[in-house]
Amino acid sequence: MNKCVDAELQELLPDLLHESLDGGTRQRVEAHLAACESCKEDLEVLRTVKGAAVFAPTIDVDSIVRQIPPHRMMVPSVEKPKRTRMVSWLVAAVFALAVVGGGGLVVLKESPPSKSVASSIIAAPDAQVGAVVPRPDSIVFVPADPAIKSSPSDAAPSAAPTLALASSADLASLSDGDLVQLMDDMDNFDALPAAEPEPVIAVDSGDSL
Amino acid sequence: MTPSPETRHDETDMELINRWKAGDGRAATRLVGRHSQALARFAASAGERDGIEELVQDTFVRAFASLDSFRGESSLRTWLFTIERRLMLDRRRAEKRSRQTVPVQESDQVSEYGALDGLIAEEAQERVRQSLEALSPTQREVFTLRVQQGLSYKEIAEVVGSTEGAARVHYHNAIQTVKEFLKDE
Repeated sequence: MNKCVDAELQELLPDLLHESLDGGTRQRVEAHLAACESCKEDLEVLRTVKGAAVFAPTIDVDSIVRQIPPHRMMVPSVEKPKRTRMVSWLVAAVFALAVVGGGGLVVLKESPPSKSVASSIIAAPDAQVGAVVPRPDSIVFVPADPAIKSSPSDAAPSAAPTLALASSADLASLSDGDLVQLMDDMDNFDALPAAEPEPVIAVDSGDSL
Repeated sequence: MTPSPETRHDETDMELINRWKAGDGRAATRLVGRHSQALARFAASAGERDGIEELVQDTFVRAFASLDSFRGESSLRTWLFTIERRLMLDRRRAEKRSRQTVPVQESDQVSEYGALDGLIAEEAQERVRQSLEALSPTQREVFTLRVQQGLSYKEIAEVVGSTEGAARVHYHNAIQTVKEFLKDE
């Protein structure tokens, strides 16, 4: 017997058996069957296999349903207390110690209103040793050399200086507004992301070959 | 007039899933009733002999526990077949491990053949069963999913974790083997 040369139609025979073909395709397959002995034989084999129902036990639906727990509505993840607040205060405390302990080591000046206090730190002329000053995004080493500044733009003189901190003693001379801004800047030092990633629940996907 | 949920019998699987998620336990009964026998037949066709009901139950329990991840991109039945097949593979691996440690008893072999004899009574059915046993496990899965369950090649590929092209090749080889087997008998 000659083999079928129309593989596409041959592969549709199971669909013909399950009556899942649309009208046009069904007509094409039936017309092909009329002329193809190989496909006729295939269809007969498929009918035999489909008709030979393999024994399967009757399933007790209710017993299965009893094992299924009710659907749990999606519970929004409980917001954990933010650690960033505490970390901010720790950073602020370290910063304050560095400022107070330095005693004239660090000078803040010419800070534009939009920039943080920490980013406008430059070395004090009378400092003899370097100071490590924390910044929001990194730790910056401020050398004792007065010629070296944290950044040229930060050190550029401004016509209207808003904040000048020559020594810890000068803290008392800061206005209330400056102190509030300083505290806000310290409060905003977030060393960690403000939000933690959503918990990932591992799902056993089983094996697949 | 729109029929009430109690009287509607043409609800899609997704509609029933949504009803179950909303707290309607009867939707679960409808879904299990709709698909449980197909799962049992697939397990039997794939060679499972014992514990088919337990297997079907485990399939549904696992499926309902993961229904939030079911997006309806495939049919629910295809998805259930996929879960059931994985469970069958897990079972076979566990049985293989236990056989490596526990010697096979003579009574086990007797009960195995006895169970198989009980599965198919008619002579024609017996011939079909033997022809299916001549196939490789993957060929048998592909062939029974295609012929007995009427799944498309795309759906079969999803169930067996393969490609449509590979499913076509498995089907083609399987029908040639089955045809030759039945012709020789």
